[in-house]
This record gives sequence, structure tokens and C-alpha cells, in this order.
Amino acid sequence: MKLAGNDMLIQSLVDEGVEFLFGYPGGAALHIYDAIFNQNELQHILVRHEQGATHAADGYARATGKPGVVLVTSGPGATNAITGIATAFMDSIPMVVLSGQVASHLIGTDAFQETDMIGISRPIVKHSFSIESAEEIPRVIKEAFHIATSGRPGPVVIDIPKDTTAPDKLFNYDPPKSVKIRSYNPPVEPDPKQIERAISEILKAKKPVIYAGGGAINSNASEELYELNELLNFPVTNTLMGLGVYPASKKRFMGMLGMHGTYQSNMAMHNADLIIAIGARFDDRITNTPDLFAPNAKIIHFDVDQSSVSKIIEANIAVFGQVKNSLREINKQLKEKINLIDKSKIEPWLDQIDEWTSLHGLNHELYKETSDNNMIMPQSVVQHVYQITNGSAFVTSDVGQHQMFAAQYYHFDKPRYWINSGGLGTMGFGLPAAMGVKLAYPDEEVVCITGEGSIQMCIQELSTCTQYNLPIKIININNEALGMVKQWQDMSYGGRHSESTYQSSLPNFIELVESYGHVGFKIEKNSDLKETLEEAFSINDKLVFVDVYVDPSEHVYPMLVAPNGSLKDMWLSKDKKV
Amino acid sequence: MMQRKILVILENKPGALARVVGLFHQRGYNIESLHVDPVKDVENYKEIEDSLDLKLQENEVSKLLITTTVSDNLLRQILRQINKLIDVLIAKEEI
Ligand SMILES: Cc1ncc(C[n+]2csc(CCOP(=O)(O)OP(=O)(O)O)c2C)c(N)n1
Ligand SMILES: [Mg+2]
Repeated sequence: MKLAGNDMLIQSLVDEGVEFLFGYPGGAALHIYDAIFNQNELQHILVRHEQGATHAADGYARATGKPGVVLVTSGPGATNAITGIATAFMDSIPMVVLSGQVASHLIGTDAFQETDMIGISRPIVKHSFSIESAEEIPRVIKEAFHIATSGRPGPVVIDIPKDTTAPDKLFNYDPPKSVKIRSYNPPVEPDPKQIERAISEILKAKKPVIYAGGGAINSNASEELYELNELLNFPVTNTLMGLGVYPASKKRFMGMLGMHGTYQSNMAMHNADLIIAIGARFDDRITNTPDLFAPNAKIIHFDVDQSSVSKIIEANIAVFGQVKNSLREINKQLKEKINLIDKSKIEPWLDQIDEWTSLHGLNHELYKETSDNNMIMPQSVVQHVYQITNGSAFVTSDVGQHQMFAAQYYHFDKPRYWINSGGLGTMGFGLPAAMGVKLAYPDEEVVCITGEGSIQMCIQELSTCTQYNLPIKIININNEALGMVKQWQDMSYGGRHSESTYQSSLPNFIELVESYGHVGFKIEKNSDLKETLEEAFSINDKLVFVDVYVDPSEHVYPMLVAPNGSLKDMWLSKDKKV
Repeated sequence: MMQRKILVILENKPGALARVVGLFHQRGYNIESLHVDPVKDVENYKEIEDSLDLKLQENEVSKLLITTTVSDNLLRQILRQINKLIDVLIAKEEI
């Protein structure tokens, strides 16, 4: 088959199984856009800002496990994509970003809309390619998808000078059947010796904790983790990125850990004698002060990325490999030693954890409040949404208090249903991410739990939702402030709310969404909350935006004491510190 | 803390060197000296060829020598970070 560069590019994407291309056109990408016009195998989704394209592709990738694909033009198109690339990079999300570039002979001349995209994106990509000639397009696409999706996943940028996609020169389209990059060999299978050593520690442990993160989701290791804990019955905590990898409704699940983790999770980690880290990276929201972290714990660390192990907390036993495969191996070896597992040994520890939970666990019954003497609590909004959706919705979020409330009070039983920007903490992520999820799963409920600050960072995508008829639910937890910033100002800056409120400048969100053709509801009273939310969720053919006014003085708790605190040092309310 | 020499063998491709050098800056490590050459004397790299199970061609890879002053732990971390770069064949301490 003879094809021009632009057609080879699109054909290569189709051959990789790409269904959606999230993008925005411009001069340097016009040859590519012409090739898109002439085919109907993949669907292009026209966003309203390139940041939206990256987050939508990211949401698609997180929900499906398949790489998200983005197409932008050179210069401002490329720089607008940067925030979304960094977001995917921090959370290890597979993504391929195609950026148009000025023609090869203009590179380096400060040509119109020329930007050094390879240079700008270098610190926030797993790898990048610059196309030098049209012939190499099929091979580069294949390598890019391989790199983005294997090992520890991540975004890959392909910069494409305009001349390499010219329609007037034809080439033999003969894509490579397989990829081999000699300098890239991420570990796959674990060393069985390391697993053996891990088991001998596991059998000795009296106060063990399983701490699982986003890496376990990326590796699709949920079933293996579940099986492991059917054998062990250890208490389990998940990071913000790991929620859903172990079912929240299981008895041994303690909730999230870290900065806004549950009391019992943080106490269990601090007092543990063994921590089994699975696809988690001990970042600063988890460890608090590293020197004070879990003073008596041995660490077993399962990860595919060697550079993540012993980076912050020294591991006693490191197991490198795809987490899924490593867990499969440990399950196999454990079953052979099943008679050596003494479950009674950890019973006092499990009792201790239950005691912590009943002492200071989260209150999951705030939704029962119906009195209008009190303002709506943000937590109860999430609890209602959880009830109404039977816990089975995809939930995307933005960044701030509403995100933490969503993580604390929506209980995820399955991986890939909780979709948020954990590592970079990107406000504006929630709505476009929800679009990517809804495109992938049109028949599933997709809810974006956001705040009035975050939603305004990518609100232009409401128009995209109209164009492609994406009936998402947007729950705007409206505290009329940059709530999380305000909380820190309350706690550490004497309540001086520097630039964290908007002084009555918020739009009328209902009129705003209606102008796009969507449906809006406003809720201001506890007595309306349940009924109006139910009404909103009964609409399934239109995007519904629910603007819920909540108590603006509410804080997120628990909250770790910082700086110089350990995991056992927490604020439990405005005036209670332990 | 002591001065270390790091040897990196990487693909001789545009942009590959920038990734290694950029990594030092991104991670807050300091480069004290840096020397880079295309590898011509492939016969002197048998050991590396064997450990990676491949054959090198003249000028196909570059050899990079970096000196930096770091602790043992940080050195291990730097080497893992460099080895993770896609274009790097091997990074190790040169003793
Ligand atoms: C792009 C971006 N800019 C700034 C911040 C810092 N930041 C973190 S939370 C927050 C407030 C978010 O306000 P809102 O979306 O209303 O959520 P709330 O905390 O009120 O629930 C800000 C400004 C960020 N995370 N992302
Ligand atoms: Mg707010």
C-alpha cells in the first residue's frame, strides 16, 4: 500500500487500535487534519483548549487502560498541552501526544508558531521523538505506543515537522510487526528468590500493612492483590491514586492514607512492623517527615520502576517486575506454604485497628442530616452521590477540598473508577477527564465532583460536551472559595484569606450551562439535597450540572501535622490534634 | 560524599545527551565535569556488549563521562534514573 506521510500517520494510529483522537487544529497540523477528514476509522474529538484534549485523553486512558492519544498544532497548541502532559507523567498514565511542528527547513529560525516542543516537554515525558522523514512515521508510532504502555507507563511526545506529512509524496506503508528497542528493557518477571525472602518476612509479621498505589492499577493487579489478601487477611490501605484497587467494602480495607487519610490507616502505617508497598512510591503526601516514617517497619517494595525503590524510604526487600506478575508469583509460593500462615498471630493487631476505627474513623452517615438549621456539609453531598449511584459510577475529580471529600466518602470497589490528578494536582482536570471516560463508556454513569474554582479552569469544555452529546453529571461543591487554599490559610496563616475568595464574581452556573444546552440545578438547603440530586441523576440524555452551596467554613480532616510531623500526628478537627 | 565518575553508554542520536544532562538538573544533582565522544574503538567494549547481549558498530553509540560529588545512596539513585532513560544502554560507576 502506497501512502503519503499524513495518511501513514493516521493509518498507524488505526493499526494501534486507536478509537479517539483528542485534538485541536492549526497550521502545522493541517496535512494531518486533511488525512483525518478522509477516513472514518478513528473519531477526532474537537476540544475547546488543548489542555482539555490532554486531560480527556488521560481520563480515557485511566478508565480503559489503553493509551490516550492527542493531536495539537505547533507553538501555542503544543504549549497549551504541557499541563496535561505533566499531569499524565506524574501519575504514570500512558499517552501519546502528536504535536505539529514547522517545516524541517524552518526549524531553528524562530518561524511563525515555532516552539522547541521536544525541549519544553523533556522533563515531563517518558520519551519523545522528532520525526526526521516521512518514512520513519510507522516505526516511530509503534515505538511510541510500546514505550507509553510498557514498564512504568507515561506520556510520549512525537514532534512532526509539517513537510513530513505532506500529501504529495507517497511511500510504501509497511509498519514493523513488532518492536524491539535494545536500550529499553523494563523488568517483567520478578526474581523468585526475592519473593521467597518477602514471604519469610510476611510469615513473621505481627503488625503488617498492605499499602497499594496507582502502580497496582496500572499493572491491572487487582485480582492478584485480592487473592493475596484472601490468603493473608492483612489490613489494607490505598493511596489517593490506588483507590479501588482493593475493594473499599471489604472488611480489612482501612481507607486512604496520608495527608488526608483515615486515622486508622495512618496509625496502622506508623505502628506497623511490616509494610508491603505495592506500586506505590512513598511520596511526601504519604510519608510526612521521612525520618519519622514508620520507625519499626520492615519494607517490602513491589515496583516495576527500580528508581522508585529506596528513593525516599529504604526498602529491606525489593521486588522488581510487573506488579501483577510479582503478586501472581507470591500467591503461588504462598499457597505452597499455606500451612505456615498463622492468622491468629495478627489478631491483636486487627483488634487494635478496629479500635482506632471506632475511636476516630470517618462519619459515613452525615447524609442523614436533613435540617435546614445547618448548612449543607460537603461530605454529605458525596455520600448522597454514592448512595444514588450505588457506588458504581466512574468519578472524576478536580483538586481541592471537594477532591479529598470525594476520595474519603465515595467508596470504590473496582479499579479505574476513581479518576483524579494525584501527583500534579491539576485544577481543571475533572471535566475533560470525564469526557474521555464517557466516550469510552457511553452507557456508564460518569460523575465529575468538582469545585467552583476548578471547574472554571476548563469550563470551555462544556461546549465540547454539547457537540458530542456527552451526558455527564457535574456536581459542583460550591463553597464560594478556593477552599483548600483557605483551609491552609486558616491553619497556618492566622486566617488571612489572601486571594482565596472571589467577592461575588461567580457566574450564575445554571444560566451558564443552560446557554450550552445543558441542564442545571441549584441546591442550597439540606432538605432539598436528596430529592434534587435524585432528580438530577434521573436525567440520562443530557449533561446535568448541579450547583450545591455548602458550608464554606468546613475543613478536610484528618490532616497530617506538618512540617516535622509523623504519620501519627494528625489534626482530627479544627481544635483536636493527636 | 565523594567525587564519583559515572560512565554512560547511550545511543548516538539527537537529543539523547540532552536527556542525561537535563536529568541532573531536574533532580537537583550537580555536574562537575562532562566529556562525550562517539565510540570508535568498539573492540574495547566487549564486556558491555556481553552484559547487554548485543553488538556495537563504530560511531553508533556515545560514551559519556560525568564527574559529580554525591553520597552512595544518591549515586545509586542517579544511576537508576539514568538507566531508565530510553536511549541509555548502560550507566555505571567508573572505578
Ligand atoms: C492549576 C492549579 N492552580 C493552583 C492550584 C492550587 N490549589 C490547590 S486546591 C485550590 C483551590 C481549589 O478550589 P476549588 O476548586 O473551589 O475547590 P475547593 O477546595 O474549594 O473544594 C488551589 C488554588 C492547583 N492545584 N492547580
Ligand atoms: Mg471551592
